[in-house]
Amino acid sequence: MSYFKTIVNGIVKENPTFVLLLGMCPTLATTTSAVNGLGMGVATMFVLICSNTFISLLKNLIPDGVRIPCYIVVIASFVTILQMVMQAYVPDLYKTLGIFIPLIVVNCIILGRAEAFAAKNNVLASVCDGVGIGIGFTLALTLLGFVRELLGNGAVFGYRILPESMNMLVFVLAPGAFITLGLLMAIVNSIKNRKAE
Amino acid sequence: MKKLQSNILNMALMLTVIAIVAAGLLAWVNNVTSGPIEEINNLAIENGIKSVILGDRDIQFTVDPPVERDGFVFHSVNDMNGNLIGTAVESTDRNGFGGALKVMVGFDPEGVILGYTVLEHSETPGLGAQADDWFRQASAEAKEQSGVADVILGAPGNPGNHNIIGLNPGNNLLTVSKDGGEVDAITASTITSRAFLRSVNAAYKAVFGYTAADGVSGASSQN
Repeated sequence: MSYFKTIVNGIVKENPTFVLLLGMCPTLATTTSAVNGLGMGVATMFVLICSNTFISLLKNLIPDGVRIPCYIVVIASFVTILQMVMQAYVPDLYKTLGIFIPLIVVNCIILGRAEAFAAKNNVLASVCDGVGIGIGFTLALTLLGFVRELLGNGAVFGYRILPESMNMLVFVLAPGAFITLGLLMAIVNSIKNRKAE
Repeated sequence: MKKLQSNILNMALMLTVIAIVAAGLLAWVNNVTSGPIEEINNLAIENGIKSVILGDRDIQFTVDPPVERDGFVFHSVNDMNGNLIGTAVESTDRNGFGGALKVMVGFDPEGVILGYTVLEHSETPGLGAQADDWFRQASAEAKEQSGVADVILGAPGNPGNHNIIGLNPGNNLLTVSKDGGEVDAITASTITSRAFLRSVNAAYKAVFGYTAADGVSGASSQN
């Protein structure tokens, strides 16, 4: 498979949120606004690319019997590094996303890609897979955050376009996350099915 | 290269090596970033003090070393002649909607609220997280933004009395109107509003109760 195809594959055919349904916890929890979704997506993409790279490099050195603990150590280290670096150099972003960063460790997309892709492919392909899945995740989260912010808060990326009286608060809260995700998944899948026919 | 076999020696060795390398890397990053992180936190406190006491006024001032007491942190701000301008108090309420809510409130020597800022919170974005703006006079920019939306869609804005700046918790009842107080809660975020007002009242009590109890107050310690 060509490297470009690997990237597109992660965005469309194996979109982690709408197709693989992986990493639902951060997806539902962080997408209260478009900016939060975008930030979480980018942070996850960074960790995904780093962990994919290293796990692909180390794949022959890690015995199968202890591969999961080894992967988790690698992933958790990158997450912690990301957290400290963000706190030190982009404090504003850290302020909004700080509580979500540790969640990346348990995001099953990262372990899933390590196991399903990086452990079987070369470094460059693994980086491409990280980029593709990362972009797919970021797009999905931003879209979800965009819809929820618009309906729940009448704003887009923080700019108010609908008056407060039209806010549907439920979309910012947990039930709205499930409703929006379900509807978006239905739309995405119906488009995909129509194309397949 | 052939994959290492899963015998006990290989497994123990590799896991140990990876863990040690990871620990070393983390220690190094921690070492590099701890300085800037501390600097940023100090800067946030400094800017907070400036904004809650001085607001837009541009005057020279000095800040006394912080005094910590009963979970509150007091910063006394003086003008260049050594006269007290006000006291900034860091105050935490543990019962916000999403956890602890930490605010900094500035009082003038009489107890009138000069300003406030939310230092740490885990409230719902779009709801309780508005606390940082809600309890002050809307800025001209915010007014203009909602104004445009209101004109286009013909919907009324959200008037109401939720500005606490200029009030004195000694004379004004700072609780949400639902509880009989003078302040309108954030729409759909009564719990956050209650936690916020509790921490403001606690801060006031900490500064001015301290005077009565000990004779030296955070508010007049320089005299």
